[in-house]
Amino acid sequence: MFIDIDCHQVKKYNQNAFGDYFVSKRYPDEGKLIAVLSDGLGSGIKANILSCMTATMLLKFVEKEEIPIRHAAEIVMNSLPVCQVRKISYSTFSVIDVNDEGVARIIEEGNPEFLWIKNGEVMTPTYDTIQSKTFKNRCMKSYKIHLELGDRLIFCSDGVTQCGLGNGKLKLGLRREGLIELVLNKLKEEPDISSSDLSEYIIRQTENIETNRLPKDDISACVLYFREPRTSLIFTGPPFNQKNDAEYAQLFKDFKGKKAICGGTTANLISRELNRPITMDNQISIGKLPSCSYMEGVDLVTEGILTLTETLERLEAGNWDIDNAAGKLIEFLLDSDCINFMVGAKLNQAHYNPALPVEIEIRKNIIRKMAAVLQDKYFKKVNIQFM
Amino acid sequence: MEKISVKVCLGTTCFVMGSANLQELIEIVPRKYGDKVDVSGVPCLGLCATDWEFSKAPYVKVDNDVIKEATVDKVIAAIDAKLKK
Repeated sequence: MFIDIDCHQVKKYNQNAFGDYFVSKRYPDEGKLIAVLSDGLGSGIKANILSCMTATMLLKFVEKEEIPIRHAAEIVMNSLPVCQVRKISYSTFSVIDVNDEGVARIIEEGNPEFLWIKNGEVMTPTYDTIQSKTFKNRCMKSYKIHLELGDRLIFCSDGVTQCGLGNGKLKLGLRREGLIELVLNKLKEEPDISSSDLSEYIIRQTENIETNRLPKDDISACVLYFREPRTSLIFTGPPFNQKNDAEYAQLFKDFKGKKAICGGTTANLISRELNRPITMDNQISIGKLPSCSYMEGVDLVTEGILTLTETLERLEAGNWDIDNAAGKLIEFLLDSDCINFMVGAKLNQAHYNPALPVEIEIRKNIIRKMAAVLQDKYFKKVNIQFM
Repeated sequence: MEKISVKVCLGTTCFVMGSANLQELIEIVPRKYGDKVDVSGVPCLGLCATDWEFSKAPYVKVDNDVIKEATVDKVIAAIDAKLKK
């Protein structure tokens, strides 16, 4: 089971920093994921610092597994200082620790209750209440639930449930009921919507509800969706030992999922071994990258290093609105959950000729960096096989 | 008469060494020679890897003849020579 997770946020109107903080990390070796959403008191820089500290500390506590999640959350709850002005705690949080089997431990303190949606219905999980020993008005809810394929979890900051507060239509704001209606209607319309699209949809809707579309609080929505992973394979670079070409070509052929080839020599290798002709797009490529080619049974064929380099740059910058081979490769990558790279270790000496007008990176390094970005920034599962 | 085939290498080395500009051929050649000549880009001719010590990229193949350090003029001249034969 794959956990598709994403979070969208907007800032409070007139502020220049987000007061909610979302952080998530995948642990491919342990097959689990931890995510934290924290809402700092107030708004702007102050809230940003408070929520950021709470969220990152919780993540660090939980990931080490030296203390159980419940204990970790309790420590944070008990140690959060009290605001001098408002006499309430400095930040609220929700933390989830979930594995690939769907066993999830969730702790909430102060944030609106999360939504658990199964087959178009909202579930009501049981929970334990843990009272803070140091502060009377603080308590947290601890859940242990078992998720199945198709389930969704939605976490949000109170900016979502309280949006529109006081305006003509919604005197008490959107509230939980309003959010449920919004989400269930959207799911009826688009049952397979991705977490990224759903969280963005929630944020856009809440913005629309606010008077003059000006959010009066920081708004965050984090969505988790448990589904079959979409797998893909990217074959780049010829294998170190040419004797293995046939074997790797066969592996490529047998892979179930989407396939891409990045590299002219690699494309030729697959074409030769699998006896599939390559045709090149005759559109003239403008700018820095050669255009794509086509091969039967392969979803995308691009040039190698230059395209990979630009793809990496754009993934890092979060800017992929471009109609070239790198744009297509980014679309391919972001459309997958589990990405497998088959990376040939053979170097082409000609690439390291000092006379070349551009510097050409070593393939291995680019792929390693790309894997890190895909994991950390885009929450993908990445597997690299060098050959 | 058989068509002449022109293959412009658009592999990494050739591309950075100037074959990006050779793509002009995809427009120029049909205009000049009609359907006597077929021109297309190819992912890689594999020549830079074998000939790297003397790195003569970009490479273009006109039928089976390799043109090293290709330019639009060199390729056009090679096509003309072929057609005269």
